[in-house]
Amino acid sequence: MTVTIPIGGMHCAACSARVEKAIGKLNGVLSASVNIATEKATVAFDPAVIRLSAIKDTIVGVGFVPLDAAKETAGADKIRREREIKSLRAKFVTATVFGLPLLYIAMSPMIPWVTLPLPKALSMMRFPLTYGLVQLILTIPIVAVGYKFYTVGFKNLLMRSPNMDSLIAVGTSAAVLYSVYNLFRVAVWHDFKAAESFYFETAGVIIALILLGKTLEAISKGRTGEAIKKLMGLAPKTAVVVDNGEEREIPVDDVMPGDVVVVRPGAKIPVDGTVTEGQSSVDESMLTGESLPVDKKPGDAVYGATINANGLLRFRAEKVGADTALAHIIKLVEDAQGSKAPIAKLADIVSGYFVPIVCLIALVTAVAWFAAISAGIAAPTPGKSALEFSLTVFISVLVIACPCALGLATPTAIMVGTGKGAENGILIKGGEALETAHKIQTIVFDKTGTITEGKPEVTDIISVSGVDKEHLLMMTASAERGSEHPLGRAIVLGAQSRGHSLLSADKFTAITGMGIEAVVNNTAVLAGNRKLMDDRRVSLAELEPDSDKLMSEGKTPMYVAFDGKAAGIVAVADVLKKSSKNAIERLHKMGIEVAMITGDNKKTAAAIAKQVGIDRVLAEVLPQDKSAEVKKLQEGGRKVAMVGDGINDAPALAQADVGIAIGSGTDVAMESADIVLMRSDLSDVPTAINLSKRTISNIKQNLFWAFGYNVLGIPIAAGALHLFGGPLLNPVFAAAAMSLSSVSVLTNALRLKRFKS
Amino acid sequence: MKKALLLTVIAVLTVMTLFILSRSLEGFDVVGKDSARAFDELIQKVPQLVYEDKETDSWSIIAPDGGARFSWRWEHTVADNDVALEIDAAPFMAAGLDASKLPKAIALRGGKLTLGSKIVPHGSAGRTKSTPLSAYECIVNLNKNAIGYHAALDHYGISIGDGFLFEWAKSIDTNDKDMVFVLNPEPFVNAGVAPDKINGWTFAKVTVDDENGRPVQVDKILKPFNLN
Repeated sequence: MTVTIPIGGMHCAACSARVEKAIGKLNGVLSASVNIATEKATVAFDPAVIRLSAIKDTIVGVGFVPLDAAKETAGADKIRREREIKSLRAKFVTATVFGLPLLYIAMSPMIPWVTLPLPKALSMMRFPLTYGLVQLILTIPIVAVGYKFYTVGFKNLLMRSPNMDSLIAVGTSAAVLYSVYNLFRVAVWHDFKAAESFYFETAGVIIALILLGKTLEAISKGRTGEAIKKLMGLAPKTAVVVDNGEEREIPVDDVMPGDVVVVRPGAKIPVDGTVTEGQSSVDESMLTGESLPVDKKPGDAVYGATINANGLLRFRAEKVGADTALAHIIKLVEDAQGSKAPIAKLADIVSGYFVPIVCLIALVTAVAWFAAISAGIAAPTPGKSALEFSLTVFISVLVIACPCALGLATPTAIMVGTGKGAENGILIKGGEALETAHKIQTIVFDKTGTITEGKPEVTDIISVSGVDKEHLLMMTASAERGSEHPLGRAIVLGAQSRGHSLLSADKFTAITGMGIEAVVNNTAVLAGNRKLMDDRRVSLAELEPDSDKLMSEGKTPMYVAFDGKAAGIVAVADVLKKSSKNAIERLHKMGIEVAMITGDNKKTAAAIAKQVGIDRVLAEVLPQDKSAEVKKLQEGGRKVAMVGDGINDAPALAQADVGIAIGSGTDVAMESADIVLMRSDLSDVPTAINLSKRTISNIKQNLFWAFGYNVLGIPIAAGALHLFGGPLLNPVFAAAAMSLSSVSVLTNALRLKRFKS
Repeated sequence: MKKALLLTVIAVLTVMTLFILSRSLEGFDVVGKDSARAFDELIQKVPQLVYEDKETDSWSIIAPDGGARFSWRWEHTVADNDVALEIDAAPFMAAGLDASKLPKAIALRGGKLTLGSKIVPHGSAGRTKSTPLSAYECIVNLNKNAIGYHAALDHYGISIGDGFLFEWAKSIDTNDKDMVFVLNPEPFVNAGVAPDKINGWTFAKVTVDDENGRPVQVDKILKPFNLN
């Protein structure tokens, strides 16, 4: 059983790592993945071994709040986020309003090149107690609005699992406590030089800057999830149903399967169902990305959230609530956004160990500096004692090293990337698929329904002497009536369109990958490919020249035998999709080899491949052998994607490194593939790969900056520049840099929103 | 926006309240209070150098070498200077002083250079209890800004105006400069004095706090004494 648990109170990658570790350790938990960007845990567990309540208790045990998934609807999530942003903004404003005068008072005596007017009553050396007290009083409200850093940070520290809040709590507490101690020195011991060592503004400004970073982060996080909100917002709130012959408007949640729903022109279709009355065009672009409206008539399926264009439709509701196509899409996108790409693993591992290591680095560095200065080996910055210098280093290292950027680097890019895909009708089912897609070297396309429209038509009828062409067609179509194969259906439709009345067939048998056999009007009809004819020892000598010609034209010859003797050929051809050639060109430009897999004969397949520019043809492949062909390619060391249209391609889609289901949007396709293309447009394949490349590149940039920032920031904060005669990093600048790093990672991730298909 | 405005008003009011409190509550003026203790310590250390000048309603402390005197009034209802410095003119003359070039604030009378400052608003207080310490405390109470703490030397000081000061150690026991007469070299240099050639005085760069409390290095002519 897999559940998604929204979690409140997580602030950084260290928090998510801790929750993930705690849940993952539980007996009965098969896997646990916690996403800091979505603030959700996805847990697979065995309900026979462990209860969900025990998992939630564990989350509480490590200091976080499991939220009620049922209440975490789009609206509730939005309200929660808005409330969080509002609260953070209010805290930031409070911190700024008190922080700015605090900074002004503290820094005006420190800036040698600018004269900042300051009341005499706040002169550092003449009125040091007032100078310190005013700073303390201005610091108190800032610390108060940042109380969560302390409650959460120290709690986590006591639990031996420090997080980002612990770093801030320890860093700013050290600054405040040392300042209060110096204030005491001024007030009681009249040691006025201690007034030079107030660090109230350091604590105040650090908290204000971190609150600013958190506010911007919350706003940006909200924007990364906009795609899912847009999807959720598509569903109408009410539906008009026919109840005892009268139309009644009811909330959409009250619509039950079987209800007859009325949709007026211009209105949104509330749930999924089948049209029972009326004709209209329906705009399905919100689900499929397809811009042209789709005609609907009785018997056609309609989907919730699509828009009825011009006619009145009545339909029977079939799928409601969580079963609708829209709900499936939302779930799929949500799952994808909550999933982790393999590239995130390194960041997760690093984040998990990062904070304790940073605490250690801060402590060791501060002690080392103190010892070195006390021993006269090193010199502090002018005017600072060994203790003050060490304290500055200690605070700076703690503050600069918050791993927020590291934790946000991957999930935010995945959220934006998958969201952007969904906006373009490309549903990427997880971070792993997103990451693998950019490595694809070979793409295998199924032919029918993928490269072609999947609507083959009868093009030629060739008969042997003595057999009437129309009779051949009628008999073949009658035999094919029971077939579900697209070619069989094409022949049936072809016969019907020519006005033939079909006869009933007995003893119908479908021979997988070869054709059918049946008895029509006491004649044993065999229809299928060459393999079938060879298998049944039917001589095709008379038909060879015609079949060769048909195949060279990309047509599929369906050989027909009556009572064991060749009777003729019914040739069927499928129309190439308009987008196929262009899509394959784009893939070639991306350096990807394109292959086509089909059950068709080699000549027909080669002819079609030539028309669209495909490099490699895998012809005469039985449906059950498609996955083996994909495997062969993989064994050649290539990363392979398979593009198919659903059910019969499912094993190959599963075998491929990335399975891409195209066009159907059916449950089977959505479940078997890693990427689902809502439109039947092949150009979405290169777009999906391109999106994957852009997203992975964005993640790499984010990780580079996040790692690079820490790799550079920590030594600078630890006084590396000072060792070589350079300056020592002020903790205030450390806080600013830390906040900016998170914001820069988020901003970079948001650049993906500009992605164009 | 309203909240931000309200918070701003609260912050400003907080700061203003603290200013007012600090000005009205003696307890906050730790420098003023402790400077009086240190000043008393100085007076007690060298009582023979301290005397009352009834003519000018003031107290004076003379440099151990007799070359300078700092006086402070206990009577502030009159228009005279509340604090003053008197220094022997001879070493300055010898170092090139052309007295005619001195600014009006520095007068040469009877071989002494004198300058002073009205640091307490005229008529702001009457007579105070006539002890050297109470006279000093009266000045501090009437103009808290007249005194200061000189962090670089761990001194308190009282300003005579225009960069002239009288300073004393916060702790006579630990400081090696317990009493210092501090002169601004500029008017003397302008009057032809070679500041490094004044006998009994030292010309040096000193770190002081400027009016914004920032440490700056300035030139000073000093006469320091270790009273231990």
